[in-house]
Amino acid sequence: MNINATLIAQAVVMIVFVAICWRYIYPPILSVMKEREKRISDGLEAAKKADDSLEEAKLAFDKELNQAKAEAADILDKANARASQIVNDAASKAEAEAEKILTSASTTIENETNKAKEELRQQMSDIIIDTTQKILGDEISKEKHEEILKKAAEEL
Amino acid sequence: MASELTTESYISHHLTNLTCGKTAEGWTCDPYKVDQMGFWAFHVDSLFWSIGLGTLFVFVFRKAISKNSDASVAPSGMQNFVEMSIEFVEDNVQSLFGSVKNTLIAPLALTVFVWILLMNLMDLVPVDFLPVLAGHVAYAIAGDAVEWIKGPESLYFKVVPTTDPNITLGMAFGIFILTIYYSITVKGLKAFVAELTLHPFGKYMIPINFVLEMVNFIAKPISLGLRLFGNLYAGEMIFILIALMLFFSSIPIGVLGFGLHLVWALFHILIVALQAFIFMALTIAYLAMAHETEEH
Repeated sequence: MNINATLIAQAVVMIVFVAICWRYIYPPILSVMKEREKRISDGLEAAKKADDSLEEAKLAFDKELNQAKAEAADILDKANARASQIVNDAASKAEAEAEKILTSASTTIENETNKAKEELRQQMSDIIIDTTQKILGDEISKEKHEEILKKAAEEL
Repeated sequence: MASELTTESYISHHLTNLTCGKTAEGWTCDPYKVDQMGFWAFHVDSLFWSIGLGTLFVFVFRKAISKNSDASVAPSGMQNFVEMSIEFVEDNVQSLFGSVKNTLIAPLALTVFVWILLMNLMDLVPVDFLPVLAGHVAYAIAGDAVEWIKGPESLYFKVVPTTDPNITLGMAFGIFILTIYYSITVKGLKAFVAELTLHPFGKYMIPINFVLEMVNFIAKPISLGLRLFGNLYAGEMIFILIALMLFFSSIPIGVLGFGLHLVWALFHILIVALQAFIFMALTIAYLAMAHETEEH
């Protein structure tokens, strides 16, 4: 347990080892570690970025999808409205047509009736005049009793 | 020729270094002539393990770099351990040293930590194993040629360098020199001298201030070295005493000794790592103090 020159020798040895470590060991290991650390943090950042862009893409996709859905619904609504309009139009047109046909038919019927009535009346008055002439001879001429005949025709 | 093995001789055998030095008759490692060697003697065993373990540290760490210097490849095996140690040291330097930039501090702390850890770990090798091996090897190689080797027992061989105060104080001394160097270069000689002389009592009490500050200043490296030495020496001593239970008593006590050895070895792992850490932390702290310009 004597203190002797070992102390100085050990101090020198220590300085040598510290110098070796300082010069040749510590800096290269530390630089590799720092570089790796940087790589890892860069990788993590890139992963985070990729995650973010995925999220963004998902959001954009959802938005697009919703828009498409809304558009489809809109188109469907419009189509429905148009279809019902067409149906309504057709129905009202048909109704109008039917009405028109009915009206024209009844007009025709009325005309025909009037015509027939007129004809009938004419024939009747002719028959009556004829008959009356035959009965009365020439006393009653068509010309003479024009007025009376007209009256009678009207009464008929 | 070996003297009879007694408890006393066993203990003193384990506590004596293999010392080589210069005597009147020239260089010798004869343990009976240590008294004549004076200051210029070397503890060959301590220095052997100290340099050997330091070289192991350099070799292992250097290999870890050359094996995998590509940052894009995940580290494996020894490199993980190496990088873990460096991270640990970086953290400690960062927390104790703060913003001051000095590229020497972290490598110094790393060297001190790993080196002392390795030297302390030699304590866990069974106390008799390496000394007996060294004794037999020395006797086989040089038994007849060297006059003072009379048998395998005549070679003293201490395995744990940190149980040698020369080693611990030598390292503390190296750190002390660095402290002085940085105190002068960072603060300037004037500020450093002022720090040692102008307080606690102001400029009219310079001699008293100087004595007080000097005690404070010199106590740091001495306590740093002796703390490590004391802890490891005590641990080694207990291992030796437990080993005595195996050799010099009845079988039941020998069996108990085995158990105690295991328990103490497990506990000692804590001391081994803790003392290495404390030495490193104090090294960083003392050097940080050398960088701080105190305001008074």
